[in-house]
Amino acid sequence: MSSTLFSNMKYSDSLTVVGISICTAIVCEAISWLLIYRTSSYKSLKSTIDKASKKLETMKTTDPNTATIIKKSKTKKIDRVESSLKESSRDLSMFKFKSGGVVALVLFMVFGLLNSLFEGKAVAKIPFVPIKLVQKMSHRGLSGDDMTDCSMAFLYFLCSISIRTNLQKFLGFSPPRGAAGAGLFPMPDPKSN
Amino acid sequence: MRERKSVKFNLQKQEHQNGHLSPFKVAKLFDPDASWDKDQLGDVLHWIRQSLALVCGLLWGAIPLVGGIWFILFLLLSSGIIYAYYALVLKIDEEDFGGHGALLQEGLFASISLFLLTWILVYSLGHF
Repeated sequence: MSSTLFSNMKYSDSLTVVGISICTAIVCEAISWLLIYRTSSYKSLKSTIDKASKKLETMKTTDPNTATIIKKSKTKKIDRVESSLKESSRDLSMFKFKSGGVVALVLFMVFGLLNSLFEGKAVAKIPFVPIKLVQKMSHRGLSGDDMTDCSMAFLYFLCSISIRTNLQKFLGFSPPRGAAGAGLFPMPDPKSN
Repeated sequence: MRERKSVKFNLQKQEHQNGHLSPFKVAKLFDPDASWDKDQLGDVLHWIRQSLALVCGLLWGAIPLVGGIWFILFLLLSSGIIYAYYALVLKIDEEDFGGHGALLQEGLFASISLFLLTWILVYSLGHF
């Protein structure tokens, strides 16, 4: 009965894309765990970054009573901890980059598979007309002028971001906040102004 | 009284180490006197955003609500709820946690993707 229900839906292919994305996310995290997260190098780097971030936060909290006298030496210490944090973050990125090649290969292969299955086919309907920049992805490979037709690439992109990010968060594999820097929308560094 | 406070502290420490949800932890989510670690608060805000994205996506897709304005509305609504939660319910001093920007951007990108994914899926599957 459920298979008849799904086959009657015009955009049932979207469920296939989501299902494959979920499986891919799980496989990628499993590979990442095997090659990255369970290694002692990663654990020690993460611990170093966490400790340095917390130390930096504590040091940046100024005590108004002693601010003027110790300012110079404290600034030097802060600079040292910040450099050490940047170095550890860079090492972590390099470490993950080297091992992430396998994950990238899996993602590439899955994208190729999905592309071969759904090329030129609208897998979903977008409930609004996306901006021109997004249309390049959302209408990729589709014929016609209806910009609300959704290509596999766009749906797969949304699945990858939402499912992988939350899966990483849930499993505790997210990068440490100190290493992530200021996040998606970085705030300007007041020191550089 | 002193024994109860130390038991409470040990329980808190154990639960923080175990990372399991408990009635004690749930109460902390609405306690303006609770002390928050930057990571803990960030995680809570992240999951609240994801829940809002899921609910709004399901709702927007089911009704259905059509048009880019509803995407803008989702952004304003979810950011407003997050702000109201940490500023009015938890009464957090945002300066201790990197400012409004840092708190409002926790889980933002993932929530936008999740919202769009849910909205598109429900709309496509439910109305065509």
